[in-house]
Amino acid sequence: MKAALAVMEKDLRLAWRDRAGWLTAGSFAAISVLVYSFALDLAARDVRPLLPGLLWVTFLFAGIISSGASFHGEAERGTLDAQLLAPVPRTALYAGKLLANLVGLLVVEVATLALATILFDEPLLTPELGGILLVGTAGYVSLVTVLATLGSRVRARVVLMPVLALPLLVPLLIAAVRATGAALGEPAGEAPWLLLLAVFTVWSAVGSALLFPLAVER
Amino acid sequence: MSGERSVGANAVGIEARGLTKSYRGVAAIDGISFSLPPGSRTALLGANGAGKSTLLHTLATLVAPTGGSALLGGEDVAEAPARLRRQVGFMGHVPMLYEELTPSENLRFFARLYDVEDGAKRADELLRAVGLWTRRDEPTAVLSRGMHQRLALARAVLHRPRVLLLDEPETGLDAGGIDLLERLALRDEGVTVLAATHRAERIGRWATRRLVLDRGRVVGDEETAVAERGVEGAGAAGRAR
Amino acid sequence: MSLLARLTWRGAQRVAALRWAVLPPVAGVAMFVLLAGAVIAAPREAVEGEVQRIFYIHVPSALAAYLGVGVACLASVALLWRRDMRWDAIARAGAMTGVLFTGLTLATGMIWGKPIWGVWWTWDARLTSTLILFLLYSAYLLARQLADETDEQAARFAAVFAIVAFVDIPIINLSVRWWRTLHPQPIVFDPFGEQALPGSMMLVLAIGILAVGALALWLIVLRAEAEGLAQRTAVVRHLVDRREAR
Repeated sequence: MKAALAVMEKDLRLAWRDRAGWLTAGSFAAISVLVYSFALDLAARDVRPLLPGLLWVTFLFAGIISSGASFHGEAERGTLDAQLLAPVPRTALYAGKLLANLVGLLVVEVATLALATILFDEPLLTPELGGILLVGTAGYVSLVTVLATLGSRVRARVVLMPVLALPLLVPLLIAAVRATGAALGEPAGEAPWLLLLAVFTVWSAVGSALLFPLAVER
Repeated sequence: MSGERSVGANAVGIEARGLTKSYRGVAAIDGISFSLPPGSRTALLGANGAGKSTLLHTLATLVAPTGGSALLGGEDVAEAPARLRRQVGFMGHVPMLYEELTPSENLRFFARLYDVEDGAKRADELLRAVGLWTRRDEPTAVLSRGMHQRLALARAVLHRPRVLLLDEPETGLDAGGIDLLERLALRDEGVTVLAATHRAERIGRWATRRLVLDRGRVVGDEETAVAERGVEGAGAAGRAR
Repeated sequence: MSLLARLTWRGAQRVAALRWAVLPPVAGVAMFVLLAGAVIAAPREAVEGEVQRIFYIHVPSALAAYLGVGVACLASVALLWRRDMRWDAIARAGAMTGVLFTGLTLATGMIWGKPIWGVWWTWDARLTSTLILFLLYSAYLLARQLADETDEQAARFAAVFAIVAFVDIPIINLSVRWWRTLHPQPIVFDPFGEQALPGSMMLVLAIGILAVGALALWLIVLRAEAEGLAQRTAVVRHLVDRREAR
């Protein structure tokens, strides 16, 4: 646990020092919401039903972009090895990375929501949406983090990440979009979307934590 | 720096039994066996591609062997890596440092990972020892190659390891840095050292043993006398790291 | 643990030893019987007519797809656990066969869907989850293809993905089913449901499962062999490179 916090603190510090990766993710999210607002404003009178899908697709892509950034150089500079050499469980290293990515993404997402609130004139910064955001982000970030760690040793990962991650994240996308829709007062069916979202998050966190130690071995 | 360890008392031996590691089906080390007694300081010699780096990586638990076993202090590295890893200090070809963090932050982070007692104090102590005290709050990226290597040395000995595995540690170091390396690591009596080196002329100053590899096999393993001990300033014996 | 591993490996070898003696004749004969059965023997379906006969190849293809990805998942577990690259060859073979039969399932489904539903494609729950399965293991093959046959890092990376993808399947199916509850469900074939099939249809379907299953298994075995040979060729290539570098 101490090790996980140390790793998280180090990653957040790195993210702050070398802001390029996170700024890219943040600007991507902002531009994406802006562009959607132009494109959809022409096509549809009422864009509110489209809002949940638009936001979550943006979040997923932002997460994939930033996950690559958080591993920038870890494999090449040997710092991944340096951490693996330390007498701490691999799961703790994973947890630290995960928490740092989670914090970074939540910042990007809240900023995006604030922007969307202005652009679409829809109150998006509510506690209910905040809860959905937290659970959903934890779910996708845990999967993306494990793929990015492993991928940091494999060539062509940048192109590969969306192709690998997005099909896996379909359940999360569906559940998050529906739950967000329900929170905004759209019809979403009777299915317990938040429960499905939570199940997926727990599943991906546990599965990734179990696979991570096996997978980083060389 | 205070020496809290009696000479040689806690050092652990390094042993390999038929150790093999293949990459892509090709053996980089091929059935290597040797036994280095606790407190011995061994120079690992051999041409490029002889398997020196692979051997060191395998002993450091970074790479799982394809066959055979490696033992540190009689314990199989494959069986209890977490506990064993605490006893190992490792220096590789790359400095294993965060370029965006300062030297001080780098050492403090690894001190936390290794759960070093009084980590901040230990980090400061080492920053002074390797001559980076005045540069401690600059980003590591702006430091010279030699300073990177000094910091990497500090990182390797930070947690007072009992086994030091060093892969050509003198690369990029100036004369002062090499003296430092010998003082902090190579001639420390409390640790067992296995160091790959290409500076054959300096081996006599610290090595008690030579292990020669060729194409993944041991072709030479002999004890040597340490000449010119203690020539460089204070004697090495009893000097703490 | 190692005993179990040795047994699984020996089991896999035993199946492989039968690759020419058993699988091709079984697959061949059963395929002919299937054709005859599906086209001639099976009764004409009252509502859907002749189109329904594609069902005898469609359902076995779907099962064969699951066989393929199941093999890929199990072999990936074995690879991570045993660090033996032969499992990587088997995992790739399983994934390839899985993708092939997932594609066939989708294709035959579309051929059936056009006359019956009036559209080639609809976002029905089962169609969607089959498509995602296809995407997942295509992505696996892509990830694995980018690296050398003998690259252990890439193999481990792909293995983790194959396992995650396999475990993801039930959640995908569940989420997609809930997702589609908003819309009227098209009538999907349900061979074990209320509209229980007449005996002759059941028999032809069973033969179909045997035929396609044997074919899929044979393809997996052959593909695994080919991948194994590719690995050995790559090793030889590395050896030659190394010698020339000296």
